[in-house]
Amino acid sequence: MSQGSTTPSDFESTFQKYQTGMEIILEGAKAETGKTPKEVIWTKNKAKLYHYEPTAENEFPVPILLVYALINRPYVLDLMPGNSLVEYLVGRGFDVYMLDWGTPGDEDKHLSFEHYVLDYIPQAVRKLLKHSHAEEFTLMGYCMGGTMTAMYAALFPGKPLRNLLLLTAPIDFTPDEMGLFGLWTSEKYFNPDRIVEAFGNVPGDFIDTGNRMVKPVTNYVGSYVTMWDRILQGKSMDTWLAMNKWVNDGVPFPGEAFRQWIREFYQQNKLVKGAIKLRGRQVDLAHITCPLLSIAGKKDHICTLPQAEAIMHLVSSQDKEFYTLDAGHVGLLTGSDAKRGLWPKLDSWLELRSK
Amino acid sequence: MTKEEKPEEPADSNVWKKSMDGDKETSLDPYGLYRAWLKSVGEAQEQIKPSSMKMFDLKEVWQQWFEATTAAWQSAAEKGADPLGLTTQWSEMMEEARAKISAEGTIAADPFTLFKQWYDATSETWSKAVGDIIGSDRFMQMASQFLESYTSFARTFHRASEEYFSNLQLPTRSDIARVAELVINVEEKVDQLDLAFEGLEDTYAQSTTSEAIAGLAGRLDGVENKLDVLPAVLQKLATVERLEMRLDRVENRLDQLLLALEKIEATPQAVRSTNSTRKSPGPRSGSTKGQAGKAKV
Repeated sequence: MSQGSTTPSDFESTFQKYQTGMEIILEGAKAETGKTPKEVIWTKNKAKLYHYEPTAENEFPVPILLVYALINRPYVLDLMPGNSLVEYLVGRGFDVYMLDWGTPGDEDKHLSFEHYVLDYIPQAVRKLLKHSHAEEFTLMGYCMGGTMTAMYAALFPGKPLRNLLLLTAPIDFTPDEMGLFGLWTSEKYFNPDRIVEAFGNVPGDFIDTGNRMVKPVTNYVGSYVTMWDRILQGKSMDTWLAMNKWVNDGVPFPGEAFRQWIREFYQQNKLVKGAIKLRGRQVDLAHITCPLLSIAGKKDHICTLPQAEAIMHLVSSQDKEFYTLDAGHVGLLTGSDAKRGLWPKLDSWLELRSK
Repeated sequence: MTKEEKPEEPADSNVWKKSMDGDKETSLDPYGLYRAWLKSVGEAQEQIKPSSMKMFDLKEVWQQWFEATTAAWQSAAEKGADPLGLTTQWSEMMEEARAKISAEGTIAADPFTLFKQWYDATSETWSKAVGDIIGSDRFMQMASQFLESYTSFARTFHRASEEYFSNLQLPTRSDIARVAELVINVEEKVDQLDLAFEGLEDTYAQSTTSEAIAGLAGRLDGVENKLDVLPAVLQKLATVERLEMRLDRVENRLDQLLLALEKIEATPQAVRSTNSTRKSPGPRSGSTKGQAGKAKV
């Protein structure tokens, strides 16, 4: 492009690109996501258990259960064809299941971690084992889903749980290790009861704003600078659109679970102290004895490295590994870095432990 | 002045004018305003194409824009509308960005490339500045107060709406949620039944399997016992066979003896000799008696 001057043809091209960008900004990103073929094999309230149709010969008798967080939607694990963790695992011959919590309604505001860890996950496990005719399974949790699966593993150690795999799962909530979240969620400034009393379920936008505000310039400006840059350079927009759709696709956080999450985890850091009790049952991570792989991103501001690494010192597993990648909270899952980093790591680790 | 002679309006003014015409699309579509605007942009392109657009100096234009913008922010800061010092920092950064971009000596023709230049030049500083602000106690106090006011308002508004719709005898979200809760409770009971049936199924399948295995094991034991007995039986059978063979041999010999006796009876000396032989008892008395009987005759 000429410098300091412009021509009509430049303007024409710029207008067209501007139109494309404005449509994305005003109407929201549209992308085909979660396309790996699957079937629903069990439902409970809003939750669904998916089984992904195998595309390769099932080489491993130990199926994998993916457990997602209560924030946003789980299709980030199956973002789009060619850029999907689920698609990759299925293609490698693993039998993959995923627990989707669904979108809670006002009637679900009382749902707590007791419900999720003691009712939903165990029932989903039963259905999975029955459906797959397997005797054992691998549990893989992402983000808060990782915290939940760690609690499940502590409460239901031994068979049928064969392996535990945590992706960017916060375990230690010491304020100094949490960056800005440590300050924002401190008891001094933040009272979760007020939010829950006002809204019932915490709106998805509220959670989304909190997560974005950790890196406001990058998330509110940088993301769109990238968008314009890609549009102007005529680069593919598929991944950007899919990711942007996911980022803006928040779901409400069930009120009671939010109250617990902030109070007992962020403010009181009860999990590492072994002080979390679910229906009177103490969650002691030392009860975890199965093989454990915990993966975290060095650029992750939502679950920092020390938060994820803490579990390594708390479990009793002999076979345990903490693996770090040069990625952020979501970038770790998708894109070219994930294809080179996370996916092969998961494959090699699981291959040895799924026979 | 004829229609054709009417002087062309500037493209940009047309864009806004047409977008504000308020046609049906605008009023029905929530995005109507910007759609109309984009449509007008397209038309503006058509106007620009044939016209001989004058070249203009972008550097000068952007210099002017920077000056105008920074002046506005500075003015706002001076009026005291900047409790967090955000505006002051912004103004400083704008100056810094202008210096950086000017130093490069090149300014992109399109606004987006220029904006990217600006972003690349400032994002790091800006991120740090914002990070410092939102990580400060002062900001948190303000945010906390805002959140408290907002949640109080939301709670009050929610309660008022509930009462209003209740008075109008209209169902509210809470009413619908209550119905949904009932449905979920029913579903929960169905789940429990399903779980109980599954448990029964498993138990039944398990007990059936145990019984079947026990039965099979019993039958297998029986077969094994029978197999254990078989060699002994077979051994007995061999003994019996051997005895039978020996009996056969004895019988054959007796037959031979009988033949020999018959031959002897055929001659008188032989008869005498036979009579003397009859005086001594033989092992098979029956046969001997028979022979004796025959001899008497």
